[in-house]
Amino acid sequence: MGKVILEDVTKRYADVTAVDKMNLEIEDGEFVTLVGPSGCGKSTTLETIAGLTIPTDGKITIADREVTNLPPKDRGIAMVFQNIALFPHMDVYDNISFGLRLRDYPKEEIDRRVDRASDIVQLEGMLDRMPDEMSGGQRQRVAIARAIVREPEVFLMDEPLANLDAKLRVHMRTELQRLHKELDTTIIYVTHDQAEAMTMSDRIAVIDGGELQQIAPPLVCYNEPANLFVAGFIGSPSMNFVEGEVTSTGLSTPNFDVEFDPGQLSGVAEGDHLTLGVRPEDVYLRQGSEGVANPTQSIPARTDVLEPMGDEIFVYLLTGDAAEPSMEADPETSKNQLLMSVSPDSDIEAEQDVEVVLDRERVHLFDTETGDAISHTLEFPATEAGAAETETEAEGDD
Amino acid sequence: MATESDSSQGAFSRWVDSAIESPEKVYRAMFYVVMLFFLFTTLFPFYWLLVLALTPNEAITSFGFPPVPNGFNPEAFVNVFTTVPFHVYMFNSFVLGIATTAVVLVLASLAGYVFGRLDFPGKGPLMLLILAVSYFPPAAFIIPLFRLFTGNISLLGVSSPNLFNTPFSMVLPFSALFMPLSIFILSTFYGQIPDGLEDAARIEGTTRLGALFRVIMPLSAPGVATAGVLTFISVYNEFFFSFLMTSGEANNWAPIVWGILSYQGQYTQLYNLMAAASIVGVLPVAILVVVAQEKIVSGLTAGALKE
Repeated sequence: MGKVILEDVTKRYADVTAVDKMNLEIEDGEFVTLVGPSGCGKSTTLETIAGLTIPTDGKITIADREVTNLPPKDRGIAMVFQNIALFPHMDVYDNISFGLRLRDYPKEEIDRRVDRASDIVQLEGMLDRMPDEMSGGQRQRVAIARAIVREPEVFLMDEPLANLDAKLRVHMRTELQRLHKELDTTIIYVTHDQAEAMTMSDRIAVIDGGELQQIAPPLVCYNEPANLFVAGFIGSPSMNFVEGEVTSTGLSTPNFDVEFDPGQLSGVAEGDHLTLGVRPEDVYLRQGSEGVANPTQSIPARTDVLEPMGDEIFVYLLTGDAAEPSMEADPETSKNQLLMSVSPDSDIEAEQDVEVVLDRERVHLFDTETGDAISHTLEFPATEAGAAETETEAEGDD
Repeated sequence: MATESDSSQGAFSRWVDSAIESPEKVYRAMFYVVMLFFLFTTLFPFYWLLVLALTPNEAITSFGFPPVPNGFNPEAFVNVFTTVPFHVYMFNSFVLGIATTAVVLVLASLAGYVFGRLDFPGKGPLMLLILAVSYFPPAAFIIPLFRLFTGNISLLGVSSPNLFNTPFSMVLPFSALFMPLSIFILSTFYGQIPDGLEDAARIEGTTRLGALFRVIMPLSAPGVATAGVLTFISVYNEFFFSFLMTSGEANNWAPIVWGILSYQGQYTQLYNLMAAASIVGVLPVAILVVVAQEKIVSGLTAGALKE
């Protein structure tokens, strides 16, 4: 069946490594999204699966068949492109049936399949139109019909919605999910839009610098990011990061301290540099934090800029003594900044002194140097206590 | 200039005065002068051919100016075919032209794909080298080629095939000479087809070569038509190799140039038939150009290619 396995797939160009030892195992019928910033190697990865690019190294298996060096036409795949790529000199029927005609299917079979495919994507009555007579959304549907008509083992989609307008994009997103349910075929989807990745996928593969950072269901990527990159990339607006140093009682950052028992964390010693991560929705105003079971100590801050979004308000907080709005927003000064999301009915104003707390259960800790996640909570279950860490703790300097 | 109110000035002076006020008049006048000049130089030879063709050969010696036919003898257009088998010469030229065009389009498409769509070291210099071939005077090749095509060169005991008086002796050098321009034209056109379309074709089931012939070539139709028409006309009009690579008989694949010259015997010059044959020979190409031009123009004005 349509299981896709990448083993140590590497693609090197003259001076850059686009994909570095990618290992992926995608189950039959799964919807997996490759997501990452521009130039991270996600499209190259998809091209190696498609056969449009031959990897420098590694092995690709589709449906229990090694395809590493096979041409695209022999891989049992279909692809939808970002720029849609309908053949402009053919009408819709010819576009959809192109692959079937190349494979010498009988005429009745082609007609039957084209009818069914155009039915699924709701293109009835448009089969004799030319691509330039259609709207962007209709063209995208023709491209999808062209992909499903061959009944491939795997669908590859390279940012298929990127060129559509925002409203149509949201609509096509649900269409694609419906299609996936209906066809039950493996889909590998590439996007740089983490919202698309979150909403559609069974699993997300976050890629950066040609390397796989994490592959997990969307909510796992969101709640338990494997490292700083995933934590910062998944979620909008991005997670807050504050660098600090481990003390005997917790983490000390330039502007506030967070208490926890470092002995509970394996491999963490006093003096280690950790990065605290907390999502905007896990930052609360002190007087509204009754619902939070385990708040941190309150952190004094001053509100800077408010961004009312309608369903919530994003509040930029400045912490610490130097609570001056910094016009030069370089990353060094923005470490004083904390983004908070509050409900729209809170009467918060700009330039106001407030006290905020963090939800201890949802504070993440990362190793500042390697970026790896250490913990996704400060409330450790009793069973997780690491007794061996008491020795290293003693070595830590203050 | 229409009004004659100011009688102290001539019509020309008045025209000059008004032209100074509105210079567009001068530009328009210059345009007409230049256009008439080109029309005259282009069309007068045809008119002159028609005059010669309609004049009986006995009366062909003296013409006044402007020349008018000395008599009316449309039979020349029939005699063209009865005196010598001119239709066979025309057929030969057609075959040579079409064969060369086919060879050039297929090979130049492959080369155009490589130069237009792939990146490799030395691409620019190699393209220049190929273009340089077309700058060589054909006379530089004729003696070695003639020896080669008449079986006078042997390599390792195998002598070259005797191609004299066959179409190959002309199609081969024509293809080589006219190929560079077609490669240049096609690589430009093929280079503009978006990569996504080729990728899509390959995903759908073609090879790279299949994508070239099924998607890239049809979408480059104006370029292919341009290269094809230019090649065909060049071969059809070619004189040098056509004249030297056959012995001149119609059944030896001699093209039109030989047909026209064959109205000229040792003691008779049938100028009227030569003129009539020239007109008949030009007509197919004239029609081809008119038809193809429309196609080329329509292809070019169809707008930028959308995926």
